[in-house]
Amino acid sequence: MGFFNTLAQWLGMKKKNANVIVIGLDNSGKSTILNKLKPEESKRHDIVPTIGFNVEKFMTKALSFTAFDMSGQGRYRNLWEHYYRECHGIIFVLDSSDKIRMSVAKDELNMLLNHADIVSRRLPILFFANKMDLRDALSSVKCSNMLEVEKIRDKPWHICASNAHTGEGLEEGVNWLTDQLKVVINQ
Amino acid sequence: MRRDKKEDEDGGNPFYNLEKSTVLQEARTFNETPIKIRKCCHILTKILYLINQGEHIGTTEATEAFFAMTKLFQSKDVTLRRMVYLCIKEMATISEDVIIVTSSLTKDMTGKEDQFRAPAIRALCRITDSTMLQAIERYLKQAIVDKVHAVSSAALTSSLHLAKVNPDVVKRWVNEAQEAVSSDNVMVQYHALGLLYHIRKSDRLAVTKLVSKFAKHSLKSPYAYCLLIRIACKLLRDDDSGMDSPMFDFIESCLRHKSEMVIYEAAHAIVNMKQTTAKELAPAVSVLQLFCSSPKPTLRFAAVRTLNKVAMTHPAAVTACNLDLENLITDVNRSIATLAITTLLKTGSESSIDRLMKQISSFMSEISDEFKIVVVQAVKSLCMKFPRKHSIMMNFLSSMLRDEGGFEYKKAIVDSIICIIEENPEAKEVGLAHLCEFIEDCEHTVLATRILHLLGREGPRTPQPSKYIRFIYNRVILESASVRAAAVTALAKFGGHCEELMPSVIVLLHRSQLDTDDEVRDRATFYVNVLQQKQAALNSAYILNGLQVSIIGLERALHQYTLEPAEKPFDLKSVPLATQPLAEQKTAAVGPGETPGVKATEKVAASRQDIYAEQLAAVPQFANLGPLFKSSSMPLELTESETEYSVRCVKHMFPHHIVFQFDCTNTLNDQVLENVTVHMESTEDFEVINYVPAPSLPYDKPGITYTLVRLPDDPTQVTTSFTCTLKFVVKDCDPNTGIPDDDGYEDEYVLEDVELLVADHVQKVMKPNFAASWDEVAEENELEDTFALSTMKTLPDAVKNVIQFMGLQPCERSDKVAEGKNTHTLYLAGVYRGGHDVLVRAKMVLDDSVTMQLTVRSTDAHASEVIVSAVG
Ligand SMILES: Nc1nc2c(ncn2[C@@H]2O[C@H](COP(=O)(O)OP(=O)(O)OP(=O)(O)O)[C@@H](O)[C@H]2O)c(=O)[nH]1
Ligand SMILES: [Mg+2]
Repeated sequence: MGFFNTLAQWLGMKKKNANVIVIGLDNSGKSTILNKLKPEESKRHDIVPTIGFNVEKFMTKALSFTAFDMSGQGRYRNLWEHYYRECHGIIFVLDSSDKIRMSVAKDELNMLLNHADIVSRRLPILFFANKMDLRDALSSVKCSNMLEVEKIRDKPWHICASNAHTGEGLEEGVNWLTDQLKVVINQ
Repeated sequence: MRRDKKEDEDGGNPFYNLEKSTVLQEARTFNETPIKIRKCCHILTKILYLINQGEHIGTTEATEAFFAMTKLFQSKDVTLRRMVYLCIKEMATISEDVIIVTSSLTKDMTGKEDQFRAPAIRALCRITDSTMLQAIERYLKQAIVDKVHAVSSAALTSSLHLAKVNPDVVKRWVNEAQEAVSSDNVMVQYHALGLLYHIRKSDRLAVTKLVSKFAKHSLKSPYAYCLLIRIACKLLRDDDSGMDSPMFDFIESCLRHKSEMVIYEAAHAIVNMKQTTAKELAPAVSVLQLFCSSPKPTLRFAAVRTLNKVAMTHPAAVTACNLDLENLITDVNRSIATLAITTLLKTGSESSIDRLMKQISSFMSEISDEFKIVVVQAVKSLCMKFPRKHSIMMNFLSSMLRDEGGFEYKKAIVDSIICIIEENPEAKEVGLAHLCEFIEDCEHTVLATRILHLLGREGPRTPQPSKYIRFIYNRVILESASVRAAAVTALAKFGGHCEELMPSVIVLLHRSQLDTDDEVRDRATFYVNVLQQKQAALNSAYILNGLQVSIIGLERALHQYTLEPAEKPFDLKSVPLATQPLAEQKTAAVGPGETPGVKATEKVAASRQDIYAEQLAAVPQFANLGPLFKSSSMPLELTESETEYSVRCVKHMFPHHIVFQFDCTNTLNDQVLENVTVHMESTEDFEVINYVPAPSLPYDKPGITYTLVRLPDDPTQVTTSFTCTLKFVVKDCDPNTGIPDDDGYEDEYVLEDVELLVADHVQKVMKPNFAASWDEVAEENELEDTFALSTMKTLPDAVKNVIQFMGLQPCERSDKVAEGKNTHTLYLAGVYRGGHDVLVRAKMVLDDSVTMQLTVRSTDAHASEVIVSAVG
C-alpha cells in the first residue's frame, strides 16, 4: 500500500490534501452539508448537534479535503481557534432563514477575521447561505450585506446559497474553494 | 527502589531520562499534516509514561497538548487512534475543555470500525460530565445491548463508573442491563450483573430477589456466579441471618458447580463467614482439600492459602486435610510449601512441631520476605498455643534474626519475640538475650530503639539485671543519636529500679553528659540529677513511668503559658492526659488480623480529646472551667435510629463541672429548628448552670448544643442519671430551597437518659512499672474491701467487668487471665478528676463465682472512696 501510494504520488496521480475548518452558528447546517459532500458509503443517517468537533473527509475533482466540523453552540465557539493555525481554508455556514441571529454570526465572523492566527493570512473563505429552500430565507446577496462581507479585502471570499438536503449550491461553492486552494497547496 | 534505579541506568527503560518539557514540546508534532503516525504513537506513549510516573502537568500545558492531540482524529490508523483514546482518558482530569472530543468519540462508538467502538465508549464516559450525559445517554443504552461483546462490556463497565457521579441517570438503564444479563457471553453477563446489582444495591429486598432469581436460572458465566456468591455473602452479613437462610443454601450449592472458580469462591465465602460452625465448614474444607491435589498450581495455592486462614479460627476443621498438606510440603512451588507448613503448624499436634520446623528451615533461604513473614507469624501463634515449646521457637526466630532480610521481615520477628515474652514470662530471659544479641548488629533504628525501650522496662525486673547493662552501654558508644538517646533512657531505668546498680549507672550516664547530641546530653543530665536524689517516688514518676500527658496538649499549654507570662510556675496538672503513653502507642504490635490502617485511626482517636479541648476553649461560657480533664470516648446515642432527630452525647469532664455536648442532626427536610438546647434534670445536687444553644439546625446539617452542669460540693457524690429533653423552635420550610417561614412554634422531643458513671471521672493511664507506682503512692489513703461477685462465673468475665466499671487502665498485661488458673491479680491505674493518681489491685479467686479483694491507693482520700464505690 505504502509503495503504491508513493508511486501514485510520483506519477502525480494522488490528490493533495487540504485542511478546512467548518464554522458558523449552531443549527446552521454545517454537519448536514459535510454529510452531503461525503462519499455515499460513509454517510450518516442521523445528524445531531455537534459537541466539540468531528473530522470529515470528502473529495473534489482535484483535492482531497479534511474538514474539521466544529460545534456552533455558544459555549464551544471559543474552541474554534485551536484549529485555525493548520487550516488552509475556511467554510463559514449561515442559516439564511435565521435573520435574528445574523448579527451574532457577524460578530463571530469579525472575531475570526481579527484572530492572530488568521488576520495576516490570505485564507480563502467560502460562505454558504444555507437553508435557501426555506420560505423566509434571505438571498445570498442580502446575507453578505448583513455580514458586511464586502469589507473583506485581504482574503478571497465567495458566497453561495445552498440547500444541504438536496445539495444545491454545494458543488459551486466547493469548486470555488478547490480552485483557490489548488494554487496554494501545490506551491 | 535502589534496584529499580540500577536497572534503569543499565538502559532497561528507554524512558528513564524523559523530560516533561521536551515531551510536551514534541507533542506539537500532532499539529503537523500529513500526520506522522509512528512518531505520534511514540510521543503519546511518552505522555502516558510521564502521567503514570506521577509527573505533574499544569493545566495550560496539558490543554495545549490535548488540543494538539485532537487533531490526530484525522488519521484512521487503528493503533494511533487507540493510543489517542488512552491519552484522552489519562488527560481527562488535567486538561481543560476535554468535551471537545465528545462528537468524535460518539461517532467512533457508533461507527463501523469495531476496534474503535469499545475503547471510544470508555474514553467518552471518562470525559462526560452530568450535563453532557443526557446527550450521549441514548448511545450508551444502545451500546449496552450491542451484539458485539466488547462493546457491550465496555458500556456496562463504563456505566458502573458513571453511576458514581450520576446514579439517577444510570438507574434508568436497568432494562438494558437486564437484557444484557441474558447474553451468552461470559464477560457481558458478568458485567451486566454487576451493573444490575449496583443499581439495586440500596434496596435490600430487590437484591434478595435478584440473587434468588439468578440462583435458580443458572447463569452461564462463572464470573457472574462468583459475583452472585459475593452478593449473597453480603446479604447474609448485613442481615446477620443464620445458615438456614436461602442465601446460604445457594452458596452451599455452588460447592457442586462445574467451574473450579465458582467452587473456590463458594468455599472461600463459607470459610470466611462469621458464625460458621464445623458442620457448614466441612463441605467447604473438603473441596479445598480436593484442590490441594490439583495439578494446577494456582488452585493448590488458593486452597492452601485459604486453609491457612481457616486454621487460625477453626484449626480442628483443617485437621482433616493434614495428609494433603503434608504432601504439599515438598511442592516445587515454595509459596505453596510455605503455606502448607505454616498451616500444619497451626493445626498439628505439639509432637509434630520439631519435625515441621526442621523441614521449613531447610528452605527458608529460598522464599521471599513476604512468605518468611507468614512463617514468623505461624511460629508466633504456635508459641502462644504451646508455651512449653517456646525454646525451640525462640531459637528458630533468633536464627531468622541473624539471616538476611528486609525491615518488614525483621520487624515481624522482633514483634513476635516481644509478643512471646509478654505472653509467657518463662520465655522472657531467653527472648531478651536474643534481642540483645540482635541490637549488637542492627541497621534499623526503629527496631533498635524499640528493643532498648523493652530492655529498659523488662531488664531491671529480671533476676540478673546487670547482664544487660553491657549491651545497652555498647549502644551508647557505637550508635546514631536516636539509638544513643534510647540507650541512655534504658540505662536510667536500671538505675532507678535496682539500687545496687545505681552508682555504676550514674557513672555511665555522666559520660553521656559529654555527648555531641543535645537530646542525648539532656536526657543524661536529667536522669543523673533525678537519680542522685535517691528518692523512690521521684524515680517512679520521672524515670520508670514517665510523662503521661498528651503531647499535643502539652505543646498547646506551654505555648499558651509563654504568651501570657504569669507569676506562678507552669502546672503540669493543667495539661490533659494522654489516653495511652506515647511509647506504647507507637510500638503496639500489630496483630495477625489487624491491618496497619487500623492502627492509624487509633492514633487519630488518641488526639480526639485535643480536638475537643480546642473546640470547647472557643466557647466563651466555658472560659473559667479550668483544664479539660477527660472527654468520653464513644458518643452515646440518645435517639433511636431513623427518627426525626438524631442526638449523640459526649461528656467533657472539668475539675468542678461537666459539659455535655450534644451533636444534633435534623433529618426532616421540611423543617428548620432554631435555638436548640437540651434540658437536663437530675434528682441529686447536679445543677444545670448554662445552656449554649445551637442557633439553627437546617436539614441534614449537624449542629452542636452544650449543657453545662456544676458538680455537687460533696466530693463523693459523683454518679447520677439525667433525664434529657430536646427543646427548640420549629419553622416549616420549603424542602427544595430550605428557606424557612417567618413564624415558628416551640416544641420538644424526649431523649434517652444520660448516666454519669465513676468511669467518667477517671482517665486511663498506663504505668509500665506498676510496682514502683504502687510504692510511690503509698498506703496513706489505702482502702481495702472484699466483694463477692456472684454473677461472675469466670475470671476473664470478672476482669472485663471490673475494668469497665472503674474505667481504669490495666497494667502489666493483667487483663489477660492465664488459662486454667483459678486465681488472678488485676492491676489498674489511672488519674481521678483533679489530677489524683489512682491505683487498684484486685485479687480474684474463682470458686463457684468470683470473690475479689480490692485494694485502692490514691493520692486523694475521696478518690479512693469513689473508686471502691464503683464496685459496691
Ligand atoms: N430546511 C433545511 N434544513 C436544513 C438544511 N441544512 C440543515 N438543515 C437542518 O438544520 C438542522 C441543523 O443541522 P446541523 O447540520 O446539525 O447543524 P450544525 O451547524 O452542524 O449545528 P451544530 O453542530 O450544533 O453547530 C438539522 O435539523 C438539519 O436537518 C437545509 O439546507 N435546509
Ligand atoms: Mg454539527
